[in-house]
Amino acid sequence: MANLELKNVSKVYGAGVSQLTALNKVNFSAHEGETVLIVGPSGSGKTTFLTIAGGLQTPSTGEVLINGSGYSSTNKNEQSALRLNKIGFVLQAYNLVPFLTVAEQFELVDKVKQNNMSTERFEDVLDTLGIKDLLAKYPKELSGGQRQRVAIARALYADPEYILADEPTAALDTNRSLEVMSLFNQLAHKYQKAVIVVTHDQRLEEKADKVYQIIDGEMSLLKDQTE
Amino acid sequence: MFLAIKEIKHEKLRYALITGMIMLVSYLVFILSGLSSGLQTLNSAAIDTWGANAIVLNKDAQLSLPQSVVNGPDVKRATDAGGAKLVQFGSLVKDTAGHKESVQVVGIDQKEFIYKGLKVENGTTFKADNQVVVSDNLKVDGFKLGDTIKFANTNISAKIVGFTKNANLNIAPVIYTSIANAQKITERPGVVNGVVFKDAKPNVSDLRTSKVYAINDFINALPGNSAQTMTFNFMIGFLLVIILIVITIFLYILTIQKLPNFGVLKAQGVATKYLVKNTLFQSFLIAIIGVGIAVILTTITALVLPAQVPIFISASYVAVTAILIVVMSLLGSLIPIREIVKVDPYTMIGG
Ligand SMILES: Nc1ncnc2c1ncn2[C@@H]1O[C@H](COP(=O)(O)OP(=O)(O)OP(=O)(O)O)[C@@H](O)[C@H]1O
Ligand SMILES: [Mg+2]
Repeated sequence: MANLELKNVSKVYGAGVSQLTALNKVNFSAHEGETVLIVGPSGSGKTTFLTIAGGLQTPSTGEVLINGSGYSSTNKNEQSALRLNKIGFVLQAYNLVPFLTVAEQFELVDKVKQNNMSTERFEDVLDTLGIKDLLAKYPKELSGGQRQRVAIARALYADPEYILADEPTAALDTNRSLEVMSLFNQLAHKYQKAVIVVTHDQRLEEKADKVYQIIDGEMSLLKDQTE
Repeated sequence: MFLAIKEIKHEKLRYALITGMIMLVSYLVFILSGLSSGLQTLNSAAIDTWGANAIVLNKDAQLSLPQSVVNGPDVKRATDAGGAKLVQFGSLVKDTAGHKESVQVVGIDQKEFIYKGLKVENGTTFKADNQVVVSDNLKVDGFKLGDTIKFANTNISAKIVGFTKNANLNIAPVIYTSIANAQKITERPGVVNGVVFKDAKPNVSDLRTSKVYAINDFINALPGNSAQTMTFNFMIGFLLVIILIVITIFLYILTIQKLPNFGVLKAQGVATKYLVKNTLFQSFLIAIIGVGIAVILTTITALVLPAQVPIFISASYVAVTAILIVVMSLLGSLIPIREIVKVDPYTMIGG
């Protein structure tokens, strides 16, 4: 079973007087088929958590395990390949290449990676996300919500085991935010992905299976409906 | 090269502009180099047709053939070693129909290699003192086979019996005549200005007042020659640097604009190598298309230019310059590529 685990992970930025502990002995796990929300105020360590979980930064101490094996022991190219194959990022901005149409965003994934979603399954994703009519458009012709949905589709198309999203709803109004969050929830269950969403928006909590809170680098479990 | 091509298609205007810029500068480089070798040809083409590799001149003549006088014993030593005597001076000639032209008269000996190697395109070679073989450039000015020409300030005249190609010296057409006739026109009997050799290291020793020089040193010392070549080379070098800078600035700006996207692509696991390859490919494509069009334009220019314009476009020179321009463009993508390599996906995430 696919799972992502952080064991006793700390991240310290800087040294001496300017030293700052952004994450303090964090323990965390996410499994396939569940949506995990991480909430916390600004500067609490959410992005730091996400970049460490996604292998973009290494922890100062502790370890990140993907399906039981360590992450930090691998080199840069292996980490890049691991991200390509196992992790889909949905970020606040710049998810889409501006000079590619929506359809070409997926074509780009085909250029760099094999074993992407079958056409059949992907049609279904496009339906679920409601972006089938947007395939010929360029990102600048889309609304913020449409862009985020395309970004989610792009992440799903590569058929990763994990989806990591940083403030994916920051640019959206409340209704749109809830809609995107329930989409994540739906996708996690339907396609058996582990979806990890980082946000400062507490209204999203109701749509998640598990909710963690970070305050000043300390992580605690707020809610768990998976048991 | 998916990303590269999609981007160019989407940003047609930008890429058309930079390709146009490379095209124009390349065209300028080709035309300048054509002009440089064209003028060089006007200055020294005759020397090339002799097939000489060394020249004996008076030590004090500062490599100037008309100013050099080689003394009798030195001339004998040099010709004994296989050299060919030269008498050279500038003059003005007139034909009976009134055509006038300033020329370089070159006196050569009928028993020596310049005379023997003289390729007459039209008519025959000269066999007597009152006959001359002249540069075919004089045809353009109205001189014809069989014309009688008169040398200015003398009452010596001669008949044009043949035309020869590429006979230019000091930017003037050459008139070949016998040594004796040349000496008669200048009224300096017995004076030989120089002796040339096919051999780069002729076997002459004991020269008294003269010295053996390499033919290239002699050509470089032709009036204005090296200054002119240097000026052109400087301009061409400068244009190559301009291409380098223009491509660098262009790709740098475009890359900086795309950097956040590239950062996210790297986060998503797209290899840096893939992004670098696409950028290199773009600059290669811009250069190849720009240079390609410039080559076509240069060829057309060479075909339509009137014969009087001294442009000589050499295919091999154009090929070498074209490759240099492509290399410059690839070099121009290095700084933008460094930015792509440097961008840390982490910094592009969240805030
Ligand atoms: N590269 C860095 N160097 C030094 N300090 C950093 C660095 N990145 C983050 N920090 C600090 O670590 C702490 C946690 O930052 P982080 O970006 O994880 O917060 P966040 O929860 O994502 O905040 P926000 O909601 O504003 O995005 C902050 O105090 C921040 O200033
Ligand atoms: Mg953040």
